[in-house]
Formats: sequence, C-alpha cells, structure tokens
Amino acid sequence: MHNHRHPINCILPPHVLHEIAKNGSEEQKNKAIDTLKTSEQMRGHRRALTDFSGAVMRFTAVAGKERIVYDAKHASSLPGTIVRKEGDPASSDVAVNEAYDGAGATYDLYKNIYNRDSIDNKGMRIDSTVHYQNGYDNAFWDGQQMVYGDGDGNLFNRFTIAIDVIGHELTHGVTQFEAGLNYSQQSGALNESMSDVFGSLVKQYSMKQTAADADWLIGQGLLTPGVKGIALRSMKAPGTAYDDPVLGKDPQPATMTDYVNTTSDNGGVHINSGITNHAFYVVATEIGGYAWEKAGQIWYVTLRDKLTATSNFQECADLTYQTAAELFGSGSLEQQAVKAGWAEVGIAMSGTTPPIPPTPTPTPQPSGNGCLGSLLKLIGAA
Amino acid sequence: MDAKRIKFERTGGFAGIRFAADFELNDLPNNEAHQILAFLDDVDFEKLPAQITGNQQVADGFSYSITVVTEHHEQTVVTSETSAPNKMKPLLELLTQIAREQLRNKK
Repeated sequence: MHNHRHPINCILPPHVLHEIAKNGSEEQKNKAIDTLKTSEQMRGHRRALTDFSGAVMRFTAVAGKERIVYDAKHASSLPGTIVRKEGDPASSDVAVNEAYDGAGATYDLYKNIYNRDSIDNKGMRIDSTVHYQNGYDNAFWDGQQMVYGDGDGNLFNRFTIAIDVIGHELTHGVTQFEAGLNYSQQSGALNESMSDVFGSLVKQYSMKQTAADADWLIGQGLLTPGVKGIALRSMKAPGTAYDDPVLGKDPQPATMTDYVNTTSDNGGVHINSGITNHAFYVVATEIGGYAWEKAGQIWYVTLRDKLTATSNFQECADLTYQTAAELFGSGSLEQQAVKAGWAEVGIAMSGTTPPIPPTPTPTPQPSGNGCLGSLLKLIGAA
Repeated sequence: MDAKRIKFERTGGFAGIRFAADFELNDLPNNEAHQILAFLDDVDFEKLPAQITGNQQVADGFSYSITVVTEHHEQTVVTSETSAPNKMKPLLELLTQIAREQLRNKK
C-alpha cells in the first residue's frame, strides 16, 4: 500500500512525497501535502495514512478535524456513498447530521482536553456510515469506521440519536490504537467500559455538565416510547436502565459480588462493564466538578499508556490508582477517590484487604450509595 | 437435514440485549419452515464447525448461536456478524426476524 500509485498522482510515489513533506521548502512541503491529501482522498482509505509517520503527521496536523459521513442506503456494503464532508453545510437527513456532529464533539473532547489528535492521535479521518441495512438495531466500530443502523422503529430508534453512542463507538477506535484490549471476558468488559466512560464524557463535555448534573446514562433516547426503560445502561445505577416485557431487565451488575460468568456476548462484555462503569462514576462524583478534567484524565492516561490487551479489572484498578498518584500526587484527594471508587465495586488495590466480602447473591443489586455505602459496609453497619 | 427444532440466540451488539427463540419447525407457517430447511441445506449445516469466529474483532457486533435438533442429534454452531459466511446470512436474518416476532407476541 505504501507504494501504491494513484493514476493521477503517479509522478512521485507516496514515500517520496512524504520525504518532501518532511524535508522540503515551505512551498514544496505544501505541494507535497496537497498531493498526498488528494491521493488519499481518491483512494478513500485513511488506514494508509496511519502507516506513515513524520510526513503524514505534518499532513494530518494541517488537516485537523476531518469527517466524512456516508450513506449505505439500507444495504450492507461499506462505506457507501459520501453525503457530507468536513465543512459541508448541514444535510436534510438528521442521521447524517447527528453522525457528523457527534464525531465532531468526540474529536473535540479528545483534542481539547486530552490533546489527542483523533482516533489514532495522528489526525485519522473519522468515517461514519448511516442507514446501514434495513431496520438494523445496532451501531458498531468495524476496526476502520463507525456504522449506524436506523433501528427497527419498534424497540429502537436510530442509533445516531444519542451522542454518547457516537463517543462510545469512536472510543473503540482509540482503544484499538492504544491498549488494544481483547474483546472478551474482563479485558473485553474493560474495552466496553472505556467506550461507555468516554461516550458519557463526550455528552457531558458537549453539555458542560458537572459529574453531579450528568445523567450517566448510555443510549438515552435510543429506546422507543413503548419500551419500559430510560436508556440501555446506567453508570450511576447499573442494572436499572430498563425492565421491559420484551427486552427483559438490564443485566448489568454494579459490584464484583454480582459478576456474571457467561459464554454469551464474548463473556459478558456488555454486562460486566457495569462494574467498572460504576467505579468510574464513583471516582468522578467523589472528585466533583467536571468529570472529564480529573477522573477522565486518569482513565485516559491509563488507557493510553498502561493497560494492555489482556488487562483485567484488578490491573485496571491498580493502574488507575498509580496514574492518579503520578498526575495528582501520592495520597492526593484524587488518588483517594480512585481507591474509593474501586472499593465501592468490591475491588481493593493489590496488597490490601478487599472491602466487600465476595459472597455471591442470586440477583444483581445495583449500588448507588457512593462511598458512604462502602464505608458503612466496611464498618459492618450496612 | 431432518431438523425438528431450532434454538437461536443473538447476543452482544451495542445494546448488549439478548434475543432468543426456541421453536418447533412444525409450529411455524409452512413457507418459513421450508425456508429454514433450505437455508440449513445451503450452508451444509451438518458439516459446519462448532465455532465460526474469525480473527477480526468487531466491537459491538452481534454474536449468534444456532442449535438444530433432529430426532437423534443436536448440533450447535456459534458465529458472529462478521465471521459468518455470506451463505449463512439469510438464515441469521430469518431467525432474527422469527425471534423478534416471538418477542412481540410475548408482549
């Protein structure tokens, strides 16, 4: 792919253009960058860009935020037809605009708060496809782009309706480029949880909500009015988002006591993520203020620099604790909040006594008591 | 394939909601039952491995489990949205549709 020559731009191969972009005069650099950009757009593949270093980083730094929304026109072929590019005016199609704006809001959170330039931190173009298949009740990240269905209209609305869904999908991309958490069992649940955490932060950041003001719901608005539920997941009170005759009950546990061992859903990646989601919620509310500022920073640095493909909940707890010390100081209020958050879900820092005895109970018992509840459990008063 | 009963489960997806159906082919309208049998033949279901899961991990993609029960035998195949062979997709779509109808009737 490095040596692929587009017919229009075949005079100089890409690697030569990259060298010029890196080392040429200002005029030469700009021309080389323009040519690379055109060539890349013609190919329509941004993955090629991520293979290059130096020159491309310069190119993408020039490009900045770059989004493309495609329309699959209810078929399965990806990416589909381009319907809105960066800088284009709004479309008459609400799903197109939601995908575009949601991708923009996600880019902004990562760039403005964590100084991350897009999914790969190299300015990767953000591609989204809407109207995938007919009545498709899902959204997913396919390793290269985001894909949204319109929902069946009976249980689910269109999947672009909730901005946190968009932040969730894009964060799967970030995770893919950083920790690369395996998508099964606890590492998979962590992968899911990271997507929920930053999906929720995208929503909070776009609405300028503090941790206390936020609803901490994932997928609010996604369920049709006929469904008994407010969202698909609740980070504040896992297990309480819906309870419907057709969909069943929200199966998420809030603590390790209720951890679900299952072979379904890649080992319950969308189920047990409730535990780590809740830990983040407690940490953020303990610290107070805007969740993206401190709690989000601790989680982001842990995801970017410390977690690995096989990390489990315990490692994540230990690493966020370590990161909090590095960012805010050992014994800082922030580090204490991290400890309290994990204690709330039944995970003690390595080398300390677990705060909640691991006694299995038959049904999930969402906990919304915050650290006070944890403290009471510790002293045997609850 | 002399299928009598089908047990179908779809898990995962962004919502993480389980969709399942368990039915006797005799209880389905004739055209649906025939279609399922034809789709099972199309994919040569009896010769499929128990797991069809590729290397590609798709976050929030659906996972599927199909169990076909015959008079003397029960066979389960687990696959995912992106690993399932193209030939199997009409079967997955039909089973999803039946599961959805069953859930709706339950409501």
